[in-house]
Amino acid sequence: MSALSLRSDVRRLSRRDCVKVGSLATVGYGLGGLSLIDAWRGRAAAAGTLAAAKAKACILLWLDGGPSHLETFDPKPEAPAEVRGPFRPMRTPISGIEISELLPRTASIVDKLAIVRSMTSPLGEHGLANHYLMTGYQSSPVLQYPSYGSVVSHLGPPATQLPSHIAIPESRAFGAGFLGSEHDPFVTGGDPSKADFQVRDLDFFPGVDESRIRRRREYLAEFDAMQSAIEARAPAADPAFEQAFRMVTSAQAKAAFDLSAEPASIRARYGPKMFGQSCLLARRLVERGVPFVSVLNVGWDTHTGLVLQLRDGFAGAKVGVGLVPTFDQGFSALIEDLDQRGMLEETLVVAMGEFGRTPKINTGGGRDHWPRVFSVVMAGAGIPGGQVIGASDRVGESPRDRPVTPSDLARTIYTLLGIHPDRELLTSDGRPVSVNQGGKVIRELV
Amino acid sequence: MNLASWIGVVVLAAIPHPDALADRAASRPVSVEGTRAGRTGPQQTADFDTEILPVLTRSGCNAGACHGAAAGRGDFNLSLLGADPAADHEAIVHHFEGRRVDFARPERSLILAKPSGDLDHGGDVVLDQDGPGFQRLLDWIRSGAPRGASRKLVRFEITPRRHRSDDLTEPVPLRAEAEFDDGVVADVTRWTVWTPLDSAAVTIDERSVARVHRRGQHVVTARFLDRVVPVEWIVPFSDSDFDFSLEPRADFIDDAILRTLTELRLPASPPASDSVWLRRVTLDLTGRLPLASVADTFASDGSTDKRASMVESLVSSPAFVDYWTLQMARWLRLHSLTNEPEAAVVYGRWLRSQIALDVGLDRVAEQLLTATGDSHVVGPANFGRMVADSRGHAELVGRFFLGARLGCANCHNHPLDRWTQDDYHGLAAVFAKLERGRIVEYGTRGAVTNPRTGEPAVARIPGVRDLGDDGDARAELSKWLTASENRLFARVTVNRLWRAMFGRGLVEPTDDLRETNPATHPELLEQLADDFVQNGYSLRHTLARIALSHTYARSGTVLEGNAGDDRFYSRAFRRPLPPEVLADAISDVTGVPDLYPGHPRGTRSVSIIDPLTPSRSLDLLGRCSRVAVCDEGAANGGALPAQLHLLNGDLINRKLGDESSQLSRLIAAGKTDAEIVEHHYRQALGHSPTSSQLQRWLGLLAPSESDDRRQRLEDFVWSLLNSRPFKENH
Repeated sequence: MSALSLRSDVRRLSRRDCVKVGSLATVGYGLGGLSLIDAWRGRAAAAGTLAAAKAKACILLWLDGGPSHLETFDPKPEAPAEVRGPFRPMRTPISGIEISELLPRTASIVDKLAIVRSMTSPLGEHGLANHYLMTGYQSSPVLQYPSYGSVVSHLGPPATQLPSHIAIPESRAFGAGFLGSEHDPFVTGGDPSKADFQVRDLDFFPGVDESRIRRRREYLAEFDAMQSAIEARAPAADPAFEQAFRMVTSAQAKAAFDLSAEPASIRARYGPKMFGQSCLLARRLVERGVPFVSVLNVGWDTHTGLVLQLRDGFAGAKVGVGLVPTFDQGFSALIEDLDQRGMLEETLVVAMGEFGRTPKINTGGGRDHWPRVFSVVMAGAGIPGGQVIGASDRVGESPRDRPVTPSDLARTIYTLLGIHPDRELLTSDGRPVSVNQGGKVIRELV
Repeated sequence: MNLASWIGVVVLAAIPHPDALADRAASRPVSVEGTRAGRTGPQQTADFDTEILPVLTRSGCNAGACHGAAAGRGDFNLSLLGADPAADHEAIVHHFEGRRVDFARPERSLILAKPSGDLDHGGDVVLDQDGPGFQRLLDWIRSGAPRGASRKLVRFEITPRRHRSDDLTEPVPLRAEAEFDDGVVADVTRWTVWTPLDSAAVTIDERSVARVHRRGQHVVTARFLDRVVPVEWIVPFSDSDFDFSLEPRADFIDDAILRTLTELRLPASPPASDSVWLRRVTLDLTGRLPLASVADTFASDGSTDKRASMVESLVSSPAFVDYWTLQMARWLRLHSLTNEPEAAVVYGRWLRSQIALDVGLDRVAEQLLTATGDSHVVGPANFGRMVADSRGHAELVGRFFLGARLGCANCHNHPLDRWTQDDYHGLAAVFAKLERGRIVEYGTRGAVTNPRTGEPAVARIPGVRDLGDDGDARAELSKWLTASENRLFARVTVNRLWRAMFGRGLVEPTDDLRETNPATHPELLEQLADDFVQNGYSLRHTLARIALSHTYARSGTVLEGNAGDDRFYSRAFRRPLPPEVLADAISDVTGVPDLYPGHPRGTRSVSIIDPLTPSRSLDLLGRCSRVAVCDEGAANGGALPAQLHLLNGDLINRKLGDESSQLSRLIAAGKTDAEIVEHHYRQALGHSPTSSQLQRWLGLLAPSESDDRRQRLEDFVWSLLNSRPFKENH
């Protein structure tokens, strides 16, 4: 019962504002003198037009299955053994911030990161939780909501030779929803860490050259025109075809996926695994103007064997190559590389999964689904680094203060990307649906 | 924690901030305080189950996202939406050392102070201190917070239950009335939870006044205690009526559809031409394009019953059996098991035989539910092998036979449906003793624990009765499920068949039938189910009936007034060909088959009923792996990879260049461009090009000096196979 803070005279001011002001006073995250007045000003700014957003692109590292917050960004060294788990925290250059010892590289760049430790959601089933975290909306039987990348693809500048929404190497089920399949992510397939990696069907079929591809396009337009004659709302041309056409006829587009063009030192820095090389590919794509890239990293649904899955990777490993060390290398390389190229200020990087894991370790030595509190890490896009937002309680079971919902996170991400969260999207039958509904911006990040 | 320290906490919790006291004194009329002070006797004490719980439900306290979560919230655990009043009373009055109610100072009770915002509350302020809910809770605590008589709700009614209006702006006050088993009838409007299925279409304000924002048909669910009632809203699409009295009607299907069109004021598109209808019905019933020769005969047939004859011949064809075996396999999630290819083969072969013999689906169901034996010999014994355990078995039974997503009821009673945890685990218990190895048999060991009781679950027909735990309860479950008076399975099945024919179910999604997700045409769904049962649960019968309706025969022409219709069948809806059907259609038009490892050359894609048979093309086109649920089909990887594959991959390109292709043969036979265009149009689209279309193509295909005629013709066929008229059923 730590949060018996009494209040009532400030009813017009939301509780969150109070908690924030309170926590700033008592914990002091080093944000400088953010006063109550500033909090009010911030709110007014969000209600009106957006300040010029710095981010031009977003890389989402999707840690599929729900990473354990306790073994990554929210260790609980003081908790009982069955909660604490097998690993210890490590200090970082920012005093007061400790993360798991499995993340040494990440620890060294914590000054560039903002860690939200008080994410909370009611949804503990993978499908429902994925949907909520990837769209900011809880799923509904009447409407399929679009995921972040699809909204960016829809509202951002028109796609060039490369699609605006790319998933490496695969995508989780949630795509464009009501925005239509042309905003679904383009899935690269394959394994970027393999020497023979290439995007499927990007090269011409033997015997079919570019002039024939152009002719096919011309012929196809004939059929489209015939279709428009009988169907009032038929689109002029199939957007998926047009995008495919632009890609296969562009040498630059094909080169974007060619990781062998990267110096060996850079490739090595991202690590030999699929996740690291996927992060590198994400950087190449963002560098070439793709506004949204997601990297899928599977396996975080660790119901059993935390040590094996999270640290070791295989039985008897001398150097851990499990989920967390692999993430540590790829993620830290990505942040440093973006930073050194001067791209970090313009690129929002988000690393998250659909929920956290149960505080108590189960009988199989793993942790089960736990959406009530979990962590999300963000960097770039002008986000002040070296900060922790919110906290979980003593055993990592519930938010201790400053609860942040996936809807709040969505509003923050859209705001950082310069997309007004109240902007209305139209469904196929003309219904307006705002980009985000009901979320509150995480003020410390914007 | 010792006594002294927790008293300390209580005292701290109970002392309000001085400002809070001032605030309250200023905002409360003294007379109210006086009234409250005077009411000390036990008169009119609220009944906990039926008067207090609704306050909590209405305030959202016991919702799944708050204290109603399986694990509760902030150590305060309520049953989801008040399903377990005894436990909730215990949690409020006795748990947490009784601090949630404070008899000495009732208004300081945590159950009031937290939700009303006096004390910090993770769920924000949800209870207005000046509102009737706060008052009712306060009075109840003052009178000792009793459980009460535990009376039961016997009737819950909403007025209006259905509202039709021409006016979008007209506010409609809603009223909810409850009757209890002690004879009391009460207005419970303010304690009813209103939930629009589409919150952009209908909104309901604090005073339970509804406003409709969009034309069309909408549903709002009303919840009070354990009853959930749908309320229907209709605002016609246009202001003028349409007269359908002269519209042809084949049977009850057309009657029902036209009734709705009349009500919604949607104009009906004209009938489709013979060639459009033939292509549509052949694709829907057999998964194939009509042969050009069949189309010719059909076009020249002048008899009035030619469509009936055509449907009869389609549903009697081997292609029908192939295609519907695939559909059934998808619904049943048939897939091969690791190192046991025989199982899926035997299962598929059995399924095919049932469809070939037009065995009633009640008989099929019975075999699926009760079969035992060697699953490499007995096909239906594989039904329960497609899932991991008895809970998976129960969920598959739920989806396939009951059209219900029982999964929710694993951890708590289904919030929108009538299924309880006892139902879920009871159904799982029916299959608990089933051995799922190669030899499927009913064993003697195995139980499912009901997390509500902590005891082994009692086998149960969900929503109906317990079956006891002596012996094999599957037969009894099957008997109940297939009894002709039980329409559940029939309703679910005809809804799936309707979806297969129209691209949309009368209820969507097709595995989520419940009172709170009503059909667009509820009466029609019942009539189809009745008709299905009366005709021996025959797949062919119902499909033929739908195919012969005038509704099915409508064209896709978009009229001024029906462009926005996506569910009332005022016109035909365009829908993509299923992956397997598209792959076969490409093979048929090019004359070059796909190749599947382990299958003889010429095997059609629709015959590949095991979705784990490797095929990159089918995966890219959106084949469902069936490891998860695939009622609606599934898209893998989006439209762009599929498009790249069509452009640069081998699915079409290999076939175009093949020496044995249709195109190669036509060229070798010395056919002209006109003949080749004509031939491919008829094969792919089911009709000849118009003369202006033909002229256009002849102009485009006219050779220039430098280039290759064959390549031009290949590119023509490629574009035809990528055109919407080809890739869609319409």
